[in-house]
Amino acid sequence: MGWSHPLDSSTFGGAIKMNMDKKYQIGKFYFAILGLIVLGFGIVELLLALTGGCIEHGPMIISDEEDFLLWRGLILFFAGAFYISSFKKFSDIHQQAKMLMASLMIWLIGGIAILGMILGSIPGPEDGAWFNTAEDFIASYVGPYIPSLLLLPFSLVAIYYVYLNKKTKIIINE
Amino acid sequence: MVLSVDERWDLIDKISKQTVTFGEYRHTLKDAIAEITVKPLTGIPIALAVLYGFWAFFGAVAGFFTDGFFVKLFGGTEGFTGWISWLGEQFPDKSGWLFYTLVGDPKVFAADYAGDICFEAGGVLTSGLFVAIGVVLPAIFAFYLFLIILEDSGYLPRLAVLIDTVLHKIGLHGFAVVPMILGLGCNVPAVAATRNLETKKERFMMMTLLAIFIPCGAQIGVMLEVIPEYVGWVMLYLFLGFFIFGFILNKIIPGRSPEMLLDVPPYRMPTVRNVSRKLWSRMRGFLTIAVPFVLLGVLLVNVLYLLGVIEWLANSFEPLLTGWFGVPKETVTPLITAFMRKDLAVAQLGAIEMSVAQLITSVVLVSLYFPCVATFAMIIKEGMQDRVKGVITFLIGSLLILLAVVFVWGGLIRWILPLLGVQ
Repeated sequence: MGWSHPLDSSTFGGAIKMNMDKKYQIGKFYFAILGLIVLGFGIVELLLALTGGCIEHGPMIISDEEDFLLWRGLILFFAGAFYISSFKKFSDIHQQAKMLMASLMIWLIGGIAILGMILGSIPGPEDGAWFNTAEDFIASYVGPYIPSLLLLPFSLVAIYYVYLNKKTKIIINE
Repeated sequence: MVLSVDERWDLIDKISKQTVTFGEYRHTLKDAIAEITVKPLTGIPIALAVLYGFWAFFGAVAGFFTDGFFVKLFGGTEGFTGWISWLGEQFPDKSGWLFYTLVGDPKVFAADYAGDICFEAGGVLTSGLFVAIGVVLPAIFAFYLFLIILEDSGYLPRLAVLIDTVLHKIGLHGFAVVPMILGLGCNVPAVAATRNLETKKERFMMMTLLAIFIPCGAQIGVMLEVIPEYVGWVMLYLFLGFFIFGFILNKIIPGRSPEMLLDVPPYRMPTVRNVSRKLWSRMRGFLTIAVPFVLLGVLLVNVLYLLGVIEWLANSFEPLLTGWFGVPKETVTPLITAFMRKDLAVAQLGAIEMSVAQLITSVVLVSLYFPCVATFAMIIKEGMQDRVKGVITFLIGSLLILLAVVFVWGGLIRWILPLLGVQ
């Protein structure tokens, strides 16, 4: 049996590579679309922070009365730009890093919003009982939510690509 | 046995063949992330997100403990007499000086009093304890927890590299970010951290700017309680001042600002064991320094008040306070307290009746006007390294800068706020 490159398309490794290429191709478009949406939300948040006002639609709210709207808008804007800029050569490690950092930026905002919700749901109201009642506890998790919180589940796909990246590295090293 | 040169080289070859593995190094995801966090184009947006996380985490955690539980514990709630009211009821002589000093102003304990008893009682064992334990402690806990995670993950040195170019414009280098961020927790370790800076010029500038423009975590914690909606603007104004006066100081102070050479460690996952140990060590250090100063500060102010010193000072400084800074003369009390504890001073400001613009100006003044006594002592201690003559020159220089900043930057905000629509 002659020697063949592990990623040669005529071998088993090659088949895996083709499969991975397909996955990276899907990821490339997924994050480009997600990037456009994130960028859009960032622009809306920035505009509302500068001009004032409130948009409430379904489970989502963007209001200038919330703290740090301008700051959050800027972060979302850059996160969106990072996703979009990772489109070219998506499987390259540096582009993957950009995609992951964009997701991390969303996780930071969304994660702290969730932490704030959890911490806010435990104590009772001012001048009231020490702890919240069961109904109020549950009620504090009911929306509307900020855009980053709604975008958070979609950004979790990045974890799959980190895993895929690790797998690709193992195959190449083998 | 003596080996010839060729034999030695052969031996080296054999050893290296057995011990060294040669191959192509492939960039890992960790390497790529490390790279993009120090490149300005990608690093600055990431830094923005990290600092947002820092700030929002600080607000959420500190608010949870203070508003959720400590306000109730000290001020009381449904079916529970808080510590302050209980002490007021139990204390024997309500008209004596001891009551005023330890428990607070008797009018706050009247049945029909509608104000915020936690901040407004003013006694050593009431508001003093509330500020130290109920407000400052949760704020410091949240601050140090996040800071330690950033330190242990390896992000802080990258932030230093990233901000190096900006800080060079004001005669500092990237390492200055460490005392800057530490100062947002407590200025005392921040002043100690200026030892990282190489030249006398850098150390003098950093200590002066820290003492004037960087509010400590305790003060930010109280600011979030008293003026939550304006904290961002106050911080922005102070940071702007930091860079503008830093730029001016860099031009007028002789000395050099060398380039930075920094070995950046790889990213690592912080361990619970290390984080908890460091957190405990810093919290303990803070508690032993801060709590006695808070209580001493309240005691001193109450004694000065009883002796009529505060009223005399308020009347003497009235033209300056009302004329130039546009704040009420009652601001004198918090300004005196600020020398002991700035957090306590901000809490006292919350109890004075004034407009929003006056409140913001007063908070800025408290931040600018003088470092707290613990920071002041630390500055003298650090300055001593340059011998006594050096300390005197250092202090006179710092005080002159301080006076100029208070008058210019403290007075300017009075005219800026109406332009922004804040009355």
